[in-house]
Amino acid sequence: MKGRFALVVLVSILFTAIMMSDGYAQTVRVYMGLSPENNVKVVDFVKAKTGIQILQTFQSFGEIEAKVKSEAPNFNADMVTGCGSPLAFMSKKNKWAVPYDSPAWKGISSEFADPDRYWFNMSNFTFVLVGNKDKFKEKGYTLPKSWKELLDPKWKDQIVMPNPLSSGTANMMRYTFLALYGEEEGWKFMEALDKNIHHYTRSGNAPTDLVGRGEFLLGITSHENVKKRMDEGYPLIWSIPDEGTGYDGTFAFIFPGTKMMDACKKVIDAFGTQEFSKMMAELGYVTPRPAPNALFGDKSLKYVKLDLGWAADNRPKWNDIWKEKFRTEAK
Amino acid sequence: MARAETLIAPQTNLVERIKNFINAELINILAAILFLLLAVFLLYPIFAVLIKSIKGPQGFTLSYYIKFFIKGYYFRSLLNTLTLGFINTAVCLVVGFCMAYLTTRGPLALRKPFKIISMMPLIAPPYLFAISLIILFGHNGIMTKAFGIKWSLYGFTGVVVAQTLAFIPLAYLMIENTLKSLNPNLEESAYDLGASEVRIIRTITIPLLAPGILKAGLLVFVMTIAEFGNAAILGGRTPFLAPDTYMMIIGEADFEMGSVLSVVLIIPCIIIFFLHNYMLTGKKFTTIGGKPVASEPRKITPFVQIPFLLISCTAGLAIIISFAMVLAASFTKILGINNQIVLTHIKNFNSNLAILNSIKVSLVAALIGAIIGTLLAYVIVRGKFFGRSFIEMISLSGFALPGTVIGIGYLLAFNNPPIKLTGGIMILALNCVFRFLAVGVEAGISKLHQINIEIEEASSDLGANFMTTFYRIVLPLMFPAFIAGFIYTFMTTIVSLSAVVFLVSPGFELAAVRIFDAAVYGEIGIASATTMKLVVIVIICMVILNYITKKTGFDISPKKGV
Repeated sequence: MKGRFALVVLVSILFTAIMMSDGYAQTVRVYMGLSPENNVKVVDFVKAKTGIQILQTFQSFGEIEAKVKSEAPNFNADMVTGCGSPLAFMSKKNKWAVPYDSPAWKGISSEFADPDRYWFNMSNFTFVLVGNKDKFKEKGYTLPKSWKELLDPKWKDQIVMPNPLSSGTANMMRYTFLALYGEEEGWKFMEALDKNIHHYTRSGNAPTDLVGRGEFLLGITSHENVKKRMDEGYPLIWSIPDEGTGYDGTFAFIFPGTKMMDACKKVIDAFGTQEFSKMMAELGYVTPRPAPNALFGDKSLKYVKLDLGWAADNRPKWNDIWKEKFRTEAK
Repeated sequence: MARAETLIAPQTNLVERIKNFINAELINILAAILFLLLAVFLLYPIFAVLIKSIKGPQGFTLSYYIKFFIKGYYFRSLLNTLTLGFINTAVCLVVGFCMAYLTTRGPLALRKPFKIISMMPLIAPPYLFAISLIILFGHNGIMTKAFGIKWSLYGFTGVVVAQTLAFIPLAYLMIENTLKSLNPNLEESAYDLGASEVRIIRTITIPLLAPGILKAGLLVFVMTIAEFGNAAILGGRTPFLAPDTYMMIIGEADFEMGSVLSVVLIIPCIIIFFLHNYMLTGKKFTTIGGKPVASEPRKITPFVQIPFLLISCTAGLAIIISFAMVLAASFTKILGINNQIVLTHIKNFNSNLAILNSIKVSLVAALIGAIIGTLLAYVIVRGKFFGRSFIEMISLSGFALPGTVIGIGYLLAFNNPPIKLTGGIMILALNCVFRFLAVGVEAGISKLHQINIEIEEASSDLGANFMTTFYRIVLPLMFPAFIAGFIYTFMTTIVSLSAVVFLVSPGFELAAVRIFDAAVYGEIGIASATTMKLVVIVIICMVILNYITKKTGFDISPKKGV
């Protein structure tokens, strides 16, 4: 009997000790879709700047979109800090975002801050081609100069790219190809490309790592982690084909019904500062306030002409077409 | 005065009557509460999935099912999943049987090491093997480069190998459990009478083992087709139901199609569950002679021993190498490319936080699960109400239900009022409680069958009320079952992925999900390090629990895996 009592006491002490161990001063729960490492950088920045602790789990843009759609209107988070343009525009339309006239975002162009202040674009990112230096040397390959070169049969089963349903990066790729070649030709291009794709990854940064480790020769990937991986010693080379590349924003907005409105506003304010732009530019993003870019340097990127609002409206249709084309027969 | 008395009298009467009522009906009240819990947390979510799969924007429709069967992709996915399930189950049962036979009947020196090796995968997330296979056999893997192996890991074969390695321990544990409880005297007599080893195995051991093997097969099959970690990491473009479901729900918010896939996934599981229940009735063997006695190991003929050893050693070696690879990967920058030793993966703060969360959730789940399991067992064995076997069936069905389906069910059922649980810790714990309930309940039932009801009757005859009897007699006797349920729930919850992956919310990441994300993402270092930390923590928890229970004088022989 005594033994059992001791056991109960021990277990309950253990229990309370473990349960009590959390508790930050001020926390906001966010959905956040940058690369996992860059998520942490932003969290640390906000913590240092405002004292607010951001709680996040890494998700792809498409996953955040799926989550927000399925939860509306009972959101399990306070805000979004990093999602693609489709969700940002959709949230403004459906009033899943509350407008906030942030003083920190004064004077920023409408590409980065919604004129009605529903959403704020933390910075733009883009996609690039990455190749494995070592494997290229082995085979005598060079990085393609044109997107069309990707259709060469020598790449069969050697290319990885993300899945446009779950990844915002891939959504941007798909739209870029459609904008570049026109809808009909664009789909034809992707169908031809599909023959060389080994598989579609869940997140937009995954190809960087897969190619870096030499699992595959070539990847179409988000630029986000490319510089970091090269610094870490992965044998990577990257380029942007001559036709140019596309871009998308990483958007932030506040969910209606949050209990942490003041904290959320402070987070938005922090994103509007010059320091934040500087940090993001050091990670290779194109920022709301001009700052020297670590990946692209002074080179101004050649973009395919895009209309993100129009693309956002067309995303459901394109998703259906994509499923229809690429999910009918197993390869 | 007289007035006051008459006023008080009925009142005490009422209290007394309520007391008496509770006392007499407590077991029924308990049963009702438990049934309600089962209905809300196990049946309702599955019902929600079913409804979602036939409900379109304009009322009920079967169009999603039609789409499933018309599109080659989905059908292929179903076919792959079932093939994977059958191959895996067969291989796991064969290897599991060989290992179990060697550890219970084989040479003494081999028993302990084999047992430890075959238990190792149980404490690690199943997709550890996907990670180690990539390190070894990926396009740029160590073995691929060293020997120029042209094995295309990404695809069906890769998934089969990873899943098989992951679920061998499950098959092993359950077969070993049954083998241990078989009285070896029977086999020995046959041996003495001159039967050959092969004949003994064929005509005595395997028939006696049938219930255990059947159950192991069922469990392995269900786990294989529901666990999507390996398939998602290694599948490439080969479709499987579980990862496709995951992709549809998490990546595309396509709940209708996701639900259809879930229902399709659940059908083979339910068929097998009923088949298993049906085949087991009237097949309960009791080996004569009461408790099994430890017997001198008999000499196994080389004809049997060599193939058994070969199979077991191959599997054992594969398991050890996989663990070694993951251990190495967690301490090197990029294993195979840049073998510099670093501690950054180990020190990754986010993954530590995730592990802490996992422990919390698992503790909560284990406590609730053990309590509910024990109570359920009591109600099932001692209750005398209508629908008792129904409750038993439901509470044992949890393990036959794929985790993905439960996860989606919880997401659909508990995201809106009246029961809004998403975004909290309870929803993570509760789904594991009800999925892993079976072990606690079964342990409790078998314990209660050993306790003669006369002890309880004696207690109540001596004037103790129900509560006292329950507290003083039943609970202490059932404590080992409680502990078994606790440990099993704890261990399975901490490494389980398939359901919780749908339910995690920002700021409450779980280790299993973190490892999966990192592995899918390509961060092999972080994935490996987190896996290793998780394994170490599970081992520590097990040691502590064992120590406490030993110290406090409770004999526990956790019947893990059932």
